[in-house]
Amino acid sequence: MIRVDSVTRTYGAITAVDDISFGVDRGQIVGFVGPNGAGKSTMLKMLATFLRPTAGTVSVAGFDTVADPLDVRRRIGYLPGDTPLYRDMVVDDLVRFVAGAHGLAGAELEAARTRVIDMCGIGPVLSQRVRECSTGFRQRVGFSCALVHDPPVLLLDEPTHGFDPLQVMAFRDLLTGLKQDHAILFSTHIIADVEAISDRVLIIHQGRLLGDGTLAELGQRAGLGNAGLESIFAHLVSTTAEAGQ
Amino acid sequence: MKIWPMNGISLVARRELRAYFDSPIAYIIAAVFLVLAGTSFMNSFFLAGVVDMRPFFDTLPFLLIVFAPALTMRSWSEEHAQGTVELLLTLPMKPSQVVAGKYSAALLYYALILAGSLPIVVMLAWLGDPDLGLIFCGYLGAFFLGALFLAFGQFLSSLTHNQIVAFALAALLASALVFSGHATVVEIIDGLAPAWQPGTLVANAVSCLPHYDAFVGGLIGADHLLYFVFMSAFFLWLTQVGLRRIQY
Repeated sequence: MIRVDSVTRTYGAITAVDDISFGVDRGQIVGFVGPNGAGKSTMLKMLATFLRPTAGTVSVAGFDTVADPLDVRRRIGYLPGDTPLYRDMVVDDLVRFVAGAHGLAGAELEAARTRVIDMCGIGPVLSQRVRECSTGFRQRVGFSCALVHDPPVLLLDEPTHGFDPLQVMAFRDLLTGLKQDHAILFSTHIIADVEAISDRVLIIHQGRLLGDGTLAELGQRAGLGNAGLESIFAHLVSTTAEAGQ
Repeated sequence: MKIWPMNGISLVARRELRAYFDSPIAYIIAAVFLVLAGTSFMNSFFLAGVVDMRPFFDTLPFLLIVFAPALTMRSWSEEHAQGTVELLLTLPMKPSQVVAGKYSAALLYYALILAGSLPIVVMLAWLGDPDLGLIFCGYLGAFFLGALFLAFGQFLSSLTHNQIVAFALAALLASALVFSGHATVVEIIDGLAPAWQPGTLVANAVSCLPHYDAFVGGLIGADHLLYFVFMSAFFLWLTQVGLRRIQY
C-alpha cells in the first residue's frame, strides 16, 4: 500500500530525509522510530502529499504522491504532528467538515460520523469547541478526522502525544483492531508504543534509515539477540556514528 | 469518492463564513465600518443638503484601505500559525478550490456589510428622488473594489504567519492602489516631471481609483470591469501558486 523508493528530501542545504526506501502492506502496523529531527515527520508529510520529495518516488495505494495527489489524499487518514485542528470549531462540525471534504454526504456521512464518535470516544466533547478540549481529547478528535472516511492507509505522526496511560492502552487496542484492513505507519519516539503493537520497525536517524525489520530481526542483525528496541536503537546509532568518523 | 469542485469550494466557504460569524472581531469590523461610512454620508446630507450617495461612495475606498485587510488578515496567516494549513492541504481538494472557498466567504461577508448601508438608499428614496441607476452602479463599483482588496489581502495573508504583518502589507498595497489615483497625488507627482506626467501614467496603469470612480459616475465600461476581474483573478492565482510552493 505504501511504497517509498530512494526518497531524499532537502530543505535548502539541510538533508532531512536521505535516500530512504521501504514499503508497508495492508495488515501491517509499522512503527517509525527516531529521535526528534530524525526525519520522521518529513517522511510522513511526503506520504500525505504535503511535501514533495526532492528525489525518488513515493506512492500510496498505487498512486504517485506528486502525479496524483488527490487520489492519494482520498486513500489516506493523516494525523499530522502536534494535531493541528481548527481551535474555534465545534468538534462535531470539524468531523463533518473533514467527512464532507472526502465527499461524504447525507446518510453516508451520518454513518461515518457515528462510527468514529464511537470508535474514538469523542462523544463527551462533541458539542465543545476544539480549544476547550484537553490534549488527549484533541488527539482523539484529530484521529477521528483521520478515520472518518475509512481510508485504507493510516499515517499517524506521534499519535499518543498527550495521552494518559489508559488512553495509550485504548489507542493500542484501536490500532490493533484496525490492522487487518489497513496499512498503518506511525511515528513515535516512545519505544514502548512500538514494542507493543508494531509488526515491523523502521529506525531513522539524521534522515537515514538504519534498520527495517521485526524486533527479532533487528536484534539478530545487531548481534543483540532479544534485547529491547531501545538497545537496538542505541547500538545502530552509535555504530553509524563510528562509521561516519 | 470524488468531491466536485463546487462542493469543495462551498464546503470551505461555509466553514470560513461560520468562522467569521463566530468571531466578535468580524462584528466589530462590520459595525465600525457602517458607522464611519454612514457618518460620512450623514455629514453631507444634513450639512450640505445633498440627496445622493456620492459622499458615501467617495469615502468608501479610504475606509476599505483599513477594513478589507482587517477581514483578510487571518485568512491564511492563521492557518500557517496554527498548522491547520497541513490539515487543509492534505484533504482531497485542490489548492484552487480552497482559495476560491476562502475568497467566496470573505466576499459574501463583505457584501453583507455593504448591504448594511442599504437603509441609506431607502431613506433617500423616501425623502427625495435619487438616481437609483447611479446608486446601483456605485454599489457595483464598491463590490468590485472590495473584491480586489480582498483578493490581494488573501494573497498577502498567505505569505506570512503573522496576522499583523498580513494586515500591514495589505493596507500598504491598498493605499498605493487608491492614492496613486487621487487627483492631488497625481498632480504632485506629475509636477516632478511635467514632460513625462508620471503621476497620470501610474494612475492610468495601476490605480483602482479611476476605474472605481467610473462606476460611481454611472459608467460600467468593459475596461473598468476587466480591470477589477483581471486584477482580482491575478491575486487569487498568485495565492494558489504560493500554496503549491509550500510543497517544495
